[in-house]
Amino acid sequence: MSHGNHDQFRLGFLTAVEDAERGYVGGLLITNRFGRPLEFQCTAPVKPNRTQQILYGPTLRPYVLGELIGRTLLEKVGVKPHLVLVESLDLLDLRAATSTPVVSLVSGPKTPKVKRTGETENQTNEQNGQSDKTLPNSMRLGNEAVVFHTSHDEDRTEIEKFAKLVPADADLREPFERVREALEETIRLSMARPA
Amino acid sequence: MAETNTSKARSRTAGSPMQGPHWTPLQEIDARELGSHTQDSLDELISDVEVTAVPMKMRVDIHSSGQNVALKRWPAVEIEPQSLPKSPGLMPSWKPTRQKVSTYGIQFPEGMALIAKKDGDKPAGKQAPGEIIQSAAPPIEISPDYEPPTVASLIDGLDELPAKKPVTRIKPPEDALSIEDRLFYLLQPSLQSWLAGQEMIMPFEPFPYQYEGIGWLFSKSSALLADEMGLGKTMQTITAIRLLVRSGQARRVLLVCPKPLLPNWQREFRTWAEELPFVVVEGDGERRKLTWTMPGVPVLIANYESLVRDFAAFGEGEFPKFDLIVLDEAQRIKNRTSRTAVTARALPRRRSWALTGTPIENRPEELGALYEFLEVVPPNATPDLRQLQSLAKQFILRRTKNLVMKDMPPRLDRDAYLELLPAQKSAYEMAEKEGVIQLNELGDSISVQHVFELVLRLKQITNFDPLTGESAKLERLEADMEEIAASGGKAILFSQWTKVIDWLAKPMEKYGALIYHGGIPNKQREPILAKFKEDPNAHILMMSYGTGAVGLNLQFAGYVFLFDRWWNPAIEDQAINRAHRIGCKSQVIVTRFISKDTIEERIDKVLTEKRELFAAILGDGDDTNVSLSMNAAEIFGLFDLKARHGKGTRAIGPKAVPTTT
Repeated sequence: MSHGNHDQFRLGFLTAVEDAERGYVGGLLITNRFGRPLEFQCTAPVKPNRTQQILYGPTLRPYVLGELIGRTLLEKVGVKPHLVLVESLDLLDLRAATSTPVVSLVSGPKTPKVKRTGETENQTNEQNGQSDKTLPNSMRLGNEAVVFHTSHDEDRTEIEKFAKLVPADADLREPFERVREALEETIRLSMARPA
Repeated sequence: MAETNTSKARSRTAGSPMQGPHWTPLQEIDARELGSHTQDSLDELISDVEVTAVPMKMRVDIHSSGQNVALKRWPAVEIEPQSLPKSPGLMPSWKPTRQKVSTYGIQFPEGMALIAKKDGDKPAGKQAPGEIIQSAAPPIEISPDYEPPTVASLIDGLDELPAKKPVTRIKPPEDALSIEDRLFYLLQPSLQSWLAGQEMIMPFEPFPYQYEGIGWLFSKSSALLADEMGLGKTMQTITAIRLLVRSGQARRVLLVCPKPLLPNWQREFRTWAEELPFVVVEGDGERRKLTWTMPGVPVLIANYESLVRDFAAFGEGEFPKFDLIVLDEAQRIKNRTSRTAVTARALPRRRSWALTGTPIENRPEELGALYEFLEVVPPNATPDLRQLQSLAKQFILRRTKNLVMKDMPPRLDRDAYLELLPAQKSAYEMAEKEGVIQLNELGDSISVQHVFELVLRLKQITNFDPLTGESAKLERLEADMEEIAASGGKAILFSQWTKVIDWLAKPMEKYGALIYHGGIPNKQREPILAKFKEDPNAHILMMSYGTGAVGLNLQFAGYVFLFDRWWNPAIEDQAINRAHRIGCKSQVIVTRFISKDTIEERIDKVLTEKRELFAAILGDGDDTNVSLSMNAAEIFGLFDLKARHGKGTRAIGPKAVPTTT
């Protein structure tokens, strides 16, 4: 394959959906800086067994999504991203398993948030634990605030360089929606198939 | 009572040499009395007791009891053997191992190389070592009043963000069954983001329905885009082709159109897909053959005639294969046995699209021929009405102006019913009478052609009397044109005959009349259109239906005259839509000249009555696709034709029902 577009700056969007019966299905979409897809990898459903559930406790989700799913997908993908984006701070630990910088969107997955009456801005941010004031490792990428792993401060320079390549009005949440939609379609199709 | 108890307790402890407990010892309360208290009264009692912390001083002595020696003696221990289970019941240890996760992936075909920056700041090939090569796409233009969202605004809530524009996502086609195919479509970004000036420059923002059309075409292997004239089929098709080429799904596209529309398509390609190279198949045989096989050309544009000729010149299986073939004005293949239709179906291709504003001109069966090209029905299939409807839902996209362009300036139809002038009238009556007599005399040997000839002769007289040159239509036209020219307006006039147009040239000279019909060489046509657009003194462009009705953009003209009626309202609509189309700034006034008490009025009546017949096929609310022309039976019906039969007469007419266009 010739290089062409693939030589350009590439982003990886990593997320997973949880199926009650089958477990987690993870997907990694590699796009160019404009969100055009270059490669997509997804996993078979990963369901932690009872022992893992007991022994990993609250670290189970980061383990499954980061160590099992994220790392596997990053290893498998042919078109390697220059930067991996995740939607949850839990997944920032994926950085330990890869040399690629990983950033998380600050305000988590896209869910409509309605501020309750009487709730102050600080309260909201404290609940999220994700104010840009409280996160020294936060920065801007596209139209989003992102954070990188605190133990990889060297990523800051690299991410700043990438940030210049991403259009300022790029919607960095939209590709995650595509990945989720593709994963749901994958689950739907695999369930429809005769066993 | 609680107070009494407390005071009792105080009195009991008062004067005691030892500091005892500060609360009332329980043993001093009758156990039965305590047991009879309810829990509430007990709580009340306890809460009323005054509590003071007092350090405890206790002394523990071992009193002599005679058993102290026994305490110093070793206890006697007896051992009983017990058998343990051989294997332990629990897993002794657990070691975390990295579970193997199986994956599935797809790579996307590499799209076309992006256009190079024309005025790039940085010359190509001068990137610093290790620097990532940036996209060669033109930079994004950010409007001066654009303010990027703040982090706070992102966190605070979506209610404070500006409402997002609706986006058009490409949906997997219904016939895409494999997971790979479906994911390919699902993972594409929204069309708006593709087209928002990031990578593909669009000269104008498409309308929402155009986005839908582009997305629909992009995802279809077989598609008939049947939008009403003037809604931008060309632009939607070019953009969809552009997306296919850019996403690597198509490398060779062939667009076939009628010859007069070649310049139009070239112009539109330059406008809507500036980076997409195209080549027109033209020139002598050798050159055309070379063009057909030329590698690296994403889009070839050919006309129907050269396609048919050149396809025959290639040996069997030698004609180049295309990823997509688009037939413009696809009604050209409505007759499935015609050479054009046979050739079109034989072209090797992966995708087939057809474009037409009039998918049915005469009969529903014409759709069958289009479906056959789209390869959605077996060869020579004759789908019934129900099947046609069902196929239409799946493979036809048709929108009408009423449906999508609610804000477009209106089209005002004025039917001008004109009395023939005296000389015209007598000429007409004589011709009709003689004609009918002649037809009746023909008896059973009568054919549709005979009737057709009479109709044409009568229609010509309604335009003007050949002997005296009297014309009610011309009088009316001159009156209208005077007004239009005075206000600086522009009008288009259509006639069935080039002879009529040439005849009109002189009286219309004072309005800067321009002539555009089949007799004008191709090379002169574009300058004529340009002059009509730019010259303020050119107020009227006179065209024949055949040459001017399709593909031209004349939306700067505010008036359309239909000097005579075409057989087929679809063609008339196409003609009108040269002016009434996207981009027109003001209302378009359409004047149809209809001579009273003549064949024109009768034709109009028959066509109007039949307008609903095909509406059902292409869906509800589609009030424009009633493009019917008259079949032979209807033409015969215009006259009271009878043949002698014994002593009486009998109605006559063609046995088979040929069609006219």
